[in-house]
Amino acid sequence: MGPAFPTLTESIMTALVTRLLSFLFALVVASLLLFVAIKVVPGTAAGAALGIDATPQAIARFNATHGLDRPVYVQYLEWASNTLHGDFGTSFQNGVDVGPELGRRFLVTLELAGLAFIVANLIAIPLGTWAALRHQRASDSIITTLATLFGAVPSFFLATLLILLLTLRLKLLPPGGYIPFSQDPVANLRLMVMPALSLGIVSSALLVRIMRAAMIEVMSSDFIRTARAKGAPQRVVVLRHAIRNALSTYLNVAAVEFGFLFGSVVVIEDIFRIPGLGSFVLTGILNRDYPVLLASALSITVFVLVVNLIVDVAVQLLDPRVTDKKAA
Amino acid sequence: MGREINWPRWRLALIGGVIVLTVLLVAIFAPQVAPYGPLDLDVAQMLSPPTAAHPLGTDELGRDVLSRAIFATRVSMQVAFTAALLGLVVGTVIGVLAAYFGGWLDLVLMRFMEVLFSFPAILLAVVLMAALGTSVFNAMLAIGIIFIPGFSRLARAATQAVMRQQYVEAAQAIGMGHTRIIAREVLPNIIAPLLVEAAAAFSYAILLESMLSFLGLGAQPPDPSWGNMISTGRGFMAQAPWISVVPGCAIFLTVLGFNLVGDGLRDAFDPHLRD
Repeated sequence: MGPAFPTLTESIMTALVTRLLSFLFALVVASLLLFVAIKVVPGTAAGAALGIDATPQAIARFNATHGLDRPVYVQYLEWASNTLHGDFGTSFQNGVDVGPELGRRFLVTLELAGLAFIVANLIAIPLGTWAALRHQRASDSIITTLATLFGAVPSFFLATLLILLLTLRLKLLPPGGYIPFSQDPVANLRLMVMPALSLGIVSSALLVRIMRAAMIEVMSSDFIRTARAKGAPQRVVVLRHAIRNALSTYLNVAAVEFGFLFGSVVVIEDIFRIPGLGSFVLTGILNRDYPVLLASALSITVFVLVVNLIVDVAVQLLDPRVTDKKAA
Repeated sequence: MGREINWPRWRLALIGGVIVLTVLLVAIFAPQVAPYGPLDLDVAQMLSPPTAAHPLGTDELGRDVLSRAIFATRVSMQVAFTAALLGLVVGTVIGVLAAYFGGWLDLVLMRFMEVLFSFPAILLAVVLMAALGTSVFNAMLAIGIIFIPGFSRLARAATQAVMRQQYVEAAQAIGMGHTRIIAREVLPNIIAPLLVEAAAAFSYAILLESMLSFLGLGAQPPDPSWGNMISTGRGFMAQAPWISVVPGCAIFLTVLGFNLVGDGLRDAFDPHLRD
């Protein structure tokens, strides 16, 4: 084996390093894009912080204090360096340190996205499996149709309907708000039911299709035929062999969907008044509060990028064939 | 089975087609179809439940909910059409150029697309709207930008497949110029998958536009859009749920229609994806 034929480990290493480099590149470009986009937000931070009666002198003083009168690239480099050192700046609006607030809100959004993800999987895995086992029969059509219907509902409309039904009509659940899990687990979960359902049901539309397709493919593969030929009962074939194999394909897509869920919490957090990263983004926009807006938008983006990176690396390590497929 | 026509799937595509056609006609003929103007006030009939005069009720200012939902169709269709077109055209240009010329151009363009693609779409839409300012035109722009990387990836892959065909080699051999090869040989052969993607983009654009309007970042009141109607109606959910439910159902049906048509197109153009 000469250098023209890299060993399997070498090709995996090359792929991993390439992936890591592209992650870092994405990180830099994404932060730059966000920074520039947010700098051109119409209306000035000074105007929002000081009110409409602010004198030109007061505005100039505000801009000088916050370094807003310097060239954009200087501001970017300073911000990037501070962020890398864990300093997210202070809010223009109330002078509060953004960092600790960001940490608290990250956990809130993580909980919301996590619960929504659980809802989506609890719907998608059983329904997708059932549809595949009843391929091209009535229950398959019903489940596929259901997935198509779920996929057409906007999450914020589903949220509105849930509030109408569960809060206003049946008076079962509070309309919104947030209580930390550590303070009162039951109250926390009760408040999370509707937000998690709104996001999870919509998200299950795609996952049902993925699970169904993965199961159909596995069920027609040789090793399932062999297991059947050996006389293994249907229950064993499905539970021990088929689902396990289908899940490896499924989880790949599901993990990316988790990142997507994390990135789509903005509206739901707004509706249910959940103090997560999504509502932080909206607060930042409303108040032209650059440090808040930048820190929250960037953390969401970084989280999504990291999830995608982990998925790619995991796939690479678990299935070396992917490396060759991509090269071909 | 082979070439047998899958009737249940075609029936769904047909239902989708009927919905899409109806929505488009309603958008075009909104002033003729709607019983009232979108801003007409009927102060005596505020928050009225569905009646003969107002078939789907009125809102908090006595405006006819049906008429507002009908006029809102226009905003949705304009934004979705322009955004999908923007994504399709710019994405295709980038993808074709990257694949056709390859080398560093390919590397630079696609790296950049990859970064744009990795942004969470909803977050990107919200931040872009904040940067551009809230208006219907900017919603088109922001949503269109989000679609560019998807189309460019697809166009690039399809162009690469075409470039391996002998007729492209033949065209190059007889000295045809780049522009003519791209226009005559490449584009006609990559357009089918791009149109399927455009149908999907269209329905996603409707969802994104309604979300932006819902957050107050899209079409501004008093002009009706499905998103801002749902948002206003949330304040009256207990007394007058129809204010939110009607536009919500309109979004649902429209997105469903476009999704069904998209699935049908995919089946028609790419038999391999059928199961």
